Amino acid sequence: MAMQEHQDPAADAAHGAPAGAAEAHGAAAGHESSGGLPQFDFAQWPGQIAWFLVIFFVILAFVRFFVTPKLGGTIEARDGRIEGDIAEARRMKEAADAEAADAAAEIAAARGRAQKVAADARAKAQGEIAAALAEEEAKLAGVAAEAEARIGKARDAAMTNVQAIGAEAAEAIVEKLTGRKATAAELAAVRS
Amino acid sequence: MAEQPAIDPMHQFLVQKIWQGPVFEIGGITFDMSITNSVASMIGGAVILMAFFALTARGQIVPNRGQAFAEAIYGIVDKLLVQTIIGPAGKPYVPYLFGLFVTILVLNLMGVLLAIGNLGGLTLTFTVTSQLAITATLAVLTFFSVFILGFIKQGPKFLSIFWVPGMGVLGGIAMVLIEMISYFVRPMTLAMRLFGNMLGGHVVLSLFGSFVVALGILGLSGGLSSLAFLPAALSFVMIVGLTGLELVVAILQAFVFVALATVYLNEVVNFGHGH
Repeated sequence: MAMQEHQDPAADAAHGAPAGAAEAHGAAAGHESSGGLPQFDFAQWPGQIAWFLVIFFVILAFVRFFVTPKLGGTIEARDGRIEGDIAEARRMKEAADAEAADAAAEIAAARGRAQKVAADARAKAQGEIAAALAEEEAKLAGVAAEAEARIGKARDAAMTNVQAIGAEAAEAIVEKLTGRKATAAELAAVRS
Repeated sequence: MAEQPAIDPMHQFLVQKIWQGPVFEIGGITFDMSITNSVASMIGGAVILMAFFALTARGQIVPNRGQAFAEAIYGIVDKLLVQTIIGPAGKPYVPYLFGLFVTILVLNLMGVLLAIGNLGGLTLTFTVTSQLAITATLAVLTFFSVFILGFIKQGPKFLSIFWVPGMGVLGGIAMVLIEMISYFVRPMTLAMRLFGNMLGGHVVLSLFGSFVVALGILGLSGGLSSLAFLPAALSFVMIVGLTGLELVVAILQAFVFVALATVYLNEVVNFGHGH
């Protein structure tokens, strides 16, 4: 029985159903046992289509009023929330950046002030050192000048003595050579 | 199928009455509102679908696994298709496209996955999307919704989609005809693509299944006939492989249908841009 090829007219007729793949199409509409595909049994169409439309619109209404809000709405809400969170994070980051910039500016200002204070202190110290140096130099210069003056006086005195000694020596030499004493006028003429 | 041993790969597409419902006539068309195996599958699919999303879609900002899974499916339509193809302007159409996607997806998958019932002799599968009536309904509904939306949004100038500039008057008129044909063939291609994919895969699966049974019974008769076990086993391996392939096709065809619907919708929403 089952070993027959897949077209058994007897069985088909017994079942009163359309069968046989080959000679399909031209099947007369509205006849239960026409040959060809069961899908071309047009008597089945109106009932099937009517039922299908009812069921399809129920599904569409379900999708429209339940699934779309629950899925599409949720996806949107989530995306919105993620975007909002990112925007919030960005805003906070910007605030933090601004604060960091403020702090940096403050640090820079403080450093500037500190540098100025240091520079002032250094300038003042240098001024004081210069003044002290000048004072010491002036003092030393005074001492040196005094010493020089003393040396000069001593030299002058010494020079005077040397002239007297020279005159005496010249007088003595002249006396020894000439056998007579040179006059004071002669001596003065020689010396100049 | 269990009570009928004859091998008939088309039997699985047969619409059979389960419960006789009201029959009425509108405009010469007879509406038989009986619950058939087709209608039962649709209702089952709708129930599975709604139960799935009722359980998973919880609207959690921090999603659990179910919510993440549901959102991933939603993202296929919302992010991958609508936002990529149409852009932000496509947002109002996401519910329809998503409904379309999950409807086709669940009906396609039921046709493959519920075949597990066949092991227990239960025929649970009826692939609703292998019914041309259904794929045509979806295609026509989608196509004409988009077409009418075009007129609502763009007014009469929407007809300019059929006009190809730079062809002259005669050439232009000829092109209008060609463009109109290529435009209005869209619902047909949408319907036939889904229908054909679902039909073909299931016919092939059914055929290989019947080979397993027929060749297996032949093999049982002993002697030289035992060799028939070999092709029977091969057919079984084919079924396993093809079932995997059918799963891919089921998901892919749902995606393709919605992707094309999105592309058509894009022409209407972003009318006049990037043609």
